[in-house]
Amino acid sequence: MERGEEKMSHVVETAELAKQDATYLQALTELLFQLGDDDLLIAFRGSEWLGLAPHVEEDVAYSSITQNTMGHAVMYYNLLEELGIGKADILAHDRKPQERRNGIYIEKRNGEGNYLDEPYYDWALAVVRNYFYETFKKIKLEAVANSSYKPLANVARKVLMEHPYHLAHWKLWIKQLSNSTEEAKKRIQDRVKEAWEEFEDVLELGKHANDIRSFGLVSIGEEEMKDRWLDEVKSVLADVPEGSLGKKYGNGRNGEHTQDLEQAIQTLAEVYNSDKTAAW
Amino acid sequence: MSKESDFYQVYEVFSRRGNKAPMQHQFSLLAPNREMAMIMAQENFMRREEVIDVWVVKQSDIRKMTSEERQHMTNRIDNKEYRTTKGYGYLRQKWKEKEQGMLDEKEIMSWKEVKKR
Amino acid sequence: MYNYVEDGDSKTTAYVEHDKAKYDAFMARIEAGEKIEADDWMPEDYRMALIKLISMHGISEIMGALPEKEWVPKAPTLRRKLGIMAKVQDEMGHGQLLLRVAEDLMKPYGKTRENLMEDLLNGDLKFHNVFHMPTKTWADAGMVGWLVDGAAIISQTNMLDASYGPYQRALQRICQEEVFHAQHGESIIMALAEGNEYQRDILQESLNRWWPSLLMFFGPASAETTGSSKQDIMIKYKIRKSTNEELRQAFLTKYMPRVFSLGLTVPDETIRYDEEEEKWIYKQPNWDEFKQIIRNNGPRSKERLRLREIAYENNRWVRQALATEPVSV
Repeated sequence: MERGEEKMSHVVETAELAKQDATYLQALTELLFQLGDDDLLIAFRGSEWLGLAPHVEEDVAYSSITQNTMGHAVMYYNLLEELGIGKADILAHDRKPQERRNGIYIEKRNGEGNYLDEPYYDWALAVVRNYFYETFKKIKLEAVANSSYKPLANVARKVLMEHPYHLAHWKLWIKQLSNSTEEAKKRIQDRVKEAWEEFEDVLELGKHANDIRSFGLVSIGEEEMKDRWLDEVKSVLADVPEGSLGKKYGNGRNGEHTQDLEQAIQTLAEVYNSDKTAAW
Repeated sequence: MSKESDFYQVYEVFSRRGNKAPMQHQFSLLAPNREMAMIMAQENFMRREEVIDVWVVKQSDIRKMTSEERQHMTNRIDNKEYRTTKGYGYLRQKWKEKEQGMLDEKEIMSWKEVKKR
Repeated sequence: MYNYVEDGDSKTTAYVEHDKAKYDAFMARIEAGEKIEADDWMPEDYRMALIKLISMHGISEIMGALPEKEWVPKAPTLRRKLGIMAKVQDEMGHGQLLLRVAEDLMKPYGKTRENLMEDLLNGDLKFHNVFHMPTKTWADAGMVGWLVDGAAIISQTNMLDASYGPYQRALQRICQEEVFHAQHGESIIMALAEGNEYQRDILQESLNRWWPSLLMFFGPASAETTGSSKQDIMIKYKIRKSTNEELRQAFLTKYMPRVFSLGLTVPDETIRYDEEEEKWIYKQPNWDEFKQIIRNNGPRSKERLRLREIAYENNRWVRQALATEPVSV
């Protein structure tokens, strides 16, 4: 911690400078993969929903959010590319599950079936997941907006500009459904309960958390992120499950993942894999 | 018990491109209530346009002209030059004789800048 | 993307003689280039033709999102993922605009979007022939964006002066977005055409497969071909300007030189432009197959309808939940 605190005020202006400290570079790379992979995966799940939302107007609105979110992932992958980690498209399409750093709840399938065939997708899951995620994203982005890595801080501030719409959208959905029919309330509550057992790793910074924090890459640590997230969620949802959050399927920040991520990667890289040398 | 069809309420959507632009009607959408209508409006109709403000109005709250009214209440006789600058165009020549310019729209609208003292 | 095609099963309401004065005034208005609005008096066959045209156009946009959508999560690069997502989103958006126009026309009959969805699912409301076809490779995503949308642009721009105001205004929006669609499709195709052997192969294979559908896109040349055609009423009421065959010829004129310039061929060795007749001579597609396709007996008709049905049924609880009194937030 001491060394980190010393460095906290030290602003790193460029990729070249970041590369000069291997520990700093590793912590930065981890954080960028968390940010990029979260956005890529939730946008991927959003892209599977396209055309299947409760009504046409929502389909159109949801797709804008999905596109924005994938655009955010691109910005993080570009930062990684600048750091010499690899080309953005390769980082998105050609990394094994254990190299991915998204939270496990983010990779969860949209429901039963798949998007091409018998997609019994659950709108309650979409609403709960997106609301939980966008609430978390705001907290994390604010923590990154003052990052010691200047290029990342700049990206975070840009992303924060279009994020309020995303959060408002999903907050409205969860509020309205939570205040409607008994059936809707139950569906939402069931998904909230499920999320409670799985969401914790999303709020964490993984095994390099200490470095990420001490290098000032984020301005608050994971414990405070968790507290802020809980406060926000409790202020919106009348009753949240008792007990603490869990990570039922492991910690995605450390490369632990489920079958669902494999399905996601297989699908999103299907054409890419058909000819990796081709220019598409 | 409400019917599923009540989910589909018609909202008219308006938006403004910039501070100097008027509110402009864009299109209509279906939403169950006005908050939902609002959250959908911008991405449904202004994905590529500049927008600084959005209004949604429930269609049934709008008193529109009827078909008859549109045909019978929007006509005017073309004899109202006294209401427009067209009826005062002769002044240009008069002022010219007195070696003065015409205070036309272009001139008057340019008066927003007054010399600093 | 769309064209008005008739399967020969429909009946139109006979024009009622005692509205002669109104009818003459109506015709005078459209002859003078005025636009008819939803609450204006209109002849029953005009309303019926519009409902049929626009609801089919709208539902075709919604159904048309499905074949392309298959490639949205799979698109090969981040840029392509974003581009095709925005494009398919637009198609849903076009569906939204058109369904709204159709819904206002159906209002006197007490029908809503719910009825349109039900009509689609029970087979009463047809969707365009091209969207019954499979999209087997990434090249198909490009082919839909390039030539299917190209055909759609030809038929939609032809109605930009349509006598029905709300439809014409929706088409203005749609055609503006189609410019992006056209370039999006060209961009995918260009990369494949200038790519490696595998890419060029899937591109040619895709065009070979889509060729009959592209010719069928504009519908039969005349009533004799399939037994019925509603193009005359559309032209009489100034909804569109040109016949099916005129549109098909315009499409071939605009796109064949581009197809050939990329080194592609079409599976019709007899196709040529006849300088004297000033028209393209081509092998007719199988119009019996066309009739089968638009009656929901195409290669992917059932699967596409099933997707729509699941999405509709599966989300019913959401629409029911919010059909209650508005929640203040």
